[in-house]
Amino acid sequence: MIDRERYAPGPASGAQIRKDGEKWTLILVRELRHSPEKVWQALTDPEQLREWAPFDADASLGTAGATVKLTTVAAPTPHITETKVTRADAPRVLEYGWGGKEMRWELEAVDGGTRLTLWHNIDRRFISMGAAGWHICFDVLDRLLGGNPIGRLVGVEAMKFDWQRLHAEYAKQFGQT
Amino acid sequence: MKIKVTSVYVDDQGKALRFYTEALGFVKKADFSQGPFRWLTVASPEEPDGTELQLALNDNPAAKAYQQAMFQQGQRAANFFTDDVKGDYERIKARGAEFTMPPTDVTGSTIATLNDTCGNIIQLTQLKRYSG
Repeated sequence: MIDRERYAPGPASGAQIRKDGEKWTLILVRELRHSPEKVWQALTDPEQLREWAPFDADASLGTAGATVKLTTVAAPTPHITETKVTRADAPRVLEYGWGGKEMRWELEAVDGGTRLTLWHNIDRRFISMGAAGWHICFDVLDRLLGGNPIGRLVGVEAMKFDWQRLHAEYAKQFGQT
Repeated sequence: MKIKVTSVYVDDQGKALRFYTEALGFVKKADFSQGPFRWLTVASPEEPDGTELQLALNDNPAAKAYQQAMFQQGQRAANFFTDDVKGDYERIKARGAEFTMPPTDVTGSTIATLNDTCGNIIQLTQLKRYSG
């Protein structure tokens, strides 16, 4: 619990946005000091998602064609959406939707670890929020993989951990201020 | 304990925000999103820190059936109080809103109802003042 209280996110970095017609995509890159196989487990296993992700999954996300219910957590009211895993090439590419928006995860083995890239098709108005939220989630994921889980920090809870500053920094980087 | 927020279901949050701000004249108060979830509220400019109205996306089939039945019966999903129902009627009508009932005297108040374009009938109420 002490580690959780000490946690503070670093500066906004590793994010960009892409606009394709009316479709906006948030692209986040994070290097993790763990193997793609280990990262893949954390991205697909409901027990591990519970430790870092902004949603709960009622089944593994690691099987192509699987139908999985995702429940948004730490929001003022629970919100459940059903998704289909459209691609699961372990431990490289994972694709599924979240509330009608597409997400694509790519895991690339790099020197002693994994370069994780997330493409998240997201409403233009919420891109900076998404970037700030995922930034904190990835920090928590990094600690979880390192054997030092601090418990997920999402939704209103993330607000206590410098979320506003991160949000402002990403908004500035994206020219949305 | 305080009543800080109350909700109406809407079929489209973007459309609802436009209607509740541009037509009704409320102001946006909170707008946060986490994945598919969007917490969206408006407040009255006369009372910016007063009770908020959440414009909640109605993607719940049970709530949708309830909302449609209430709409068909002409039941109100929310009731806003005003000091000038006739003035508000003219102002809101001029912005293109469809009233299902113009200002009408009833016991103790004058009321009007309108379609919020998002699946609800909304009532405006002006309480009568008695000077006697």
